[in-house]
Amino acid sequence: MTPAEPVAAVPTDAALIAAWRGGDEPAAAELVRRHARALARFLAGAGALEADVDDLVQETFIRAFRAVGRFRGQCQFRTWLMTIGGNVLKDAHRRSRRARVVPLGDDLRATDGDPHERAVAGEAERRLVAGLEQLPRMQREVFLLRAQQGFEYEEIAAALGTTPGAARVHYHHAVRRLKEHMK
Amino acid sequence: MNDDVTLHDDKLQEVARRLGARAAERLDVERTAEAVVARLRTEPRAEVRVLGWIQPAWLRIAAVLLLLVGAGVVALNVRGPQPTTPLPPASAGGELSELSGDELRIVLAALEEPGAERQGVSPQDVSLEDLSALELRALLESLEG
Repeated sequence: MTPAEPVAAVPTDAALIAAWRGGDEPAAAELVRRHARALARFLAGAGALEADVDDLVQETFIRAFRAVGRFRGQCQFRTWLMTIGGNVLKDAHRRSRRARVVPLGDDLRATDGDPHERAVAGEAERRLVAGLEQLPRMQREVFLLRAQQGFEYEEIAAALGTTPGAARVHYHHAVRRLKEHMK
Repeated sequence: MNDDVTLHDDKLQEVARRLGARAAERLDVERTAEAVVARLRTEPRAEVRVLGWIQPAWLRIAAVLLLLVGAGVVALNVRGPQPTTPLPPASAGGELSELSGDELRIVLAALEEPGAERQGVSPQDVSLEDLSALELRALLESLEG
C-alpha cells in the first residue's frame, strides 16, 4: 500500500511573493490571477475609466513587483496592492488631465431585474462615483477598502499608514458626505 | 462591519459593492498575468524609471544652488577687505613731489597696511628707494613742514 500523497497546499501570498523575489515568474503570474479582479473593482470605484482599467491593473502589478522588497507584511498583499493602485491612478489622472466623465452606459447599470430597478441602480452608482471623486483621497480609499472590499479598519490603517481610529473617522466623514451627495 | 452606525445604510454599501463589478468581469485575467510577466521580463526596473523622473528636477535644483553658492563666493572675492585708510588719488602713480606733507604721510601709512596691495598700490610703485636725491630732499622738507 502506497502512502497517500499529501494534498498540495495552496501557496500563500507570502510564499508566492518569496518565490517571485527568487525570480519565479509563475509565482508573479499567480499573484496577478488572485488579485487582478479585486484591484480592477477598486480602480473602477476610485474613478478609473473602464477602458483604462486593464492598463492600470498591469501598471499597478508592475510597480508592486518591482517594489516588493519594501513589502514587510504589515498588511495583506491585496490591501497593499490597492494602495499602489491608488498612486497609479493618481499619476494617470495627473498625466492625462482629462475630465472624468462617468459613462451612463452599461458599466453602471445592473444587468438583472426590471428596467426601472436597473435605471435606479445605475443612477445610484453614478451618484456614488461622482461623490467619491469629490472626496479627499484618504476618505475615498478608506471608504472603498471598507465598503467595497470589506477590509477591517486595522487592515486599512496598516496599508494606508494611519491608525484604525483615524481610518474609522475618515470612513465616517466619507459616508456622511456621500449620503449628502446622494440625497 | 455591523459596529458602524453608518453602515446601517445598507443601500450605500450595496451600491459601493457593485462599483467596478463590470470592469472586473471584463478584465481578461490570464492575459493580464501574461502581460505583467512579459513586462517584468523586458522592461527596465521601475525604480530606475522613477529615478529617471526625479533626477532632472533634483539636478535642476542642485544646479541652481551651485550657481548661487558660486556667485556668492566670486562676489566675496571680488570685493575683498576694505582698507581702513583711504588713499589719496595721486598715490597710484602721480609725482610724490607734488604731494603735501599730510598726503605723503597718508601714503606711507597706507603702504604699511597689509591690505594696501589689494588696492593695486604695491610698495614697488612708490618706494622711497626709487626717488632721486632731489625728490627725497623735497620729500623731507615737506615733512618738516
